[in-house]
Amino acid sequence: MKPFIYLIIIVCIGVLVGCAPSIPPTELINARQAYQHASAGQAAQLVPAELHKAQEALAIAEKSFQDDPKSFRTRDLAYIADRKAKMAEAFATTAAGNAATARANKDYQTTQTEIMKNTKQDLATQTEIVKNTKQDLAMQTEISKNTKEDLATSERSSAVKTEQLALEQRARLDAENRAAVAQADLAKLAAVKEEARGLVITLSGSVLFASNKSELLPSAQDRLNQVADALMATKERKLTVEGHTDSQGSSNYNLELSQRRADVVRSYIIARGYPSDLIEAHGIGKDRPVADNASAEGRANNRRVEIIVDHAANYHQSMDK
Amino acid sequence: MKHLNMVMLAGSVLFAAAIAGCGSSPVVNKEASTSAIRAAEESGASNVPSASLYLQLAKEELENAKVLVAKDEKEQAESMLSRAQADGELAVALSHGDADKKEAIQAIERVRQLREDNKLPQKGSIQ
Repeated sequence: MKPFIYLIIIVCIGVLVGCAPSIPPTELINARQAYQHASAGQAAQLVPAELHKAQEALAIAEKSFQDDPKSFRTRDLAYIADRKAKMAEAFATTAAGNAATARANKDYQTTQTEIMKNTKQDLATQTEIVKNTKQDLAMQTEISKNTKEDLATSERSSAVKTEQLALEQRARLDAENRAAVAQADLAKLAAVKEEARGLVITLSGSVLFASNKSELLPSAQDRLNQVADALMATKERKLTVEGHTDSQGSSNYNLELSQRRADVVRSYIIARGYPSDLIEAHGIGKDRPVADNASAEGRANNRRVEIIVDHAANYHQSMDK
Repeated sequence: MKHLNMVMLAGSVLFAAAIAGCGSSPVVNKEASTSAIRAAEESGASNVPSASLYLQLAKEELENAKVLVAKDEKEQAESMLSRAQADGELAVALSHGDADKKEAIQAIERVRQLREDNKLPQKGSIQ
């Protein structure tokens, strides 16, 4: 009985082993993995034809495995399928490299175009800068030229001013000399006294006018001529002619008489050539006696005409004339 | 005598033919595999690490095929030659892929250098 049982067990094991699916060879396992890897990568997109070849090779290997699992033919077909899958990946790498190269070459051309554009812009900018610099230079040259001209004009103006100053100084010296000479001449003709209000030339009233008259005596004219001539040397100075009387008679009468006499002397001096705008006449009357009116000599001294020559000279007015 | 020489010559020829006929291996076409190996060598596969392995395998498989031919195992020899061809072609593909990848890297570097020399911002760089 026991041998029979052993026989059944052995037969069952044999049946199980015979029915169990065959274990795929390593080459086929590798081929399946290689195809999965390739199809998951960029090969499907870049080289679909090569991936299809790998798929076909794997299918042939699978078919062979089903038909004859342990044959060398199955292993070799699986091996080839593995290589086809790897080739698909290699071709995908090549395609990606070529695409990257094409993109890079296009970028290179684009960059070159950009550089050329920038260079043109830089050139245009440089040209503009050069143009502006030239304009600035021309402007600077013009300014320099104008400055030189202004300087020359200024120098000429300065020379003219210096010359004018020299002329004025010379005129002032001349006037001062003439004034000194005139003062000396006047001192010979009349009483001359230097006072705060100016140089006072005193002419005796009895020499110039008859009593109670305001017409010049003929003898007075010679004296006035000489005085006027001496004053002509200082005609740039302001003159004030004052008429004075003694205390006899009313104040109004003396005031009017002294005014008339002052006016006559003023007119005479103007007639001799003295500027009319530089000479004034005032009647003082008896208000400013220089001697005692009690005596005849004193009254004679009080009857007088004073010509006051102002200290300040009017050189510019004189020069203008 | 002359007749004897003719008989000997004919015999020799027949003998040689018989020897040759008995000793020759089965006809196997190795052309495809050898061409693939040659192409791989010409593409510089031996200098590309990833490709050189498959070139070496192809050469070994070719030698194995020759051994199988010598053993008169024609079918196995042809199958082995198919392996050699597949490895040779893969070596070529990997060699070309490597060269194209290097060329792409050089082209990209050329663009980068050009932009750097002209003080232009790099593509993809943050301004």
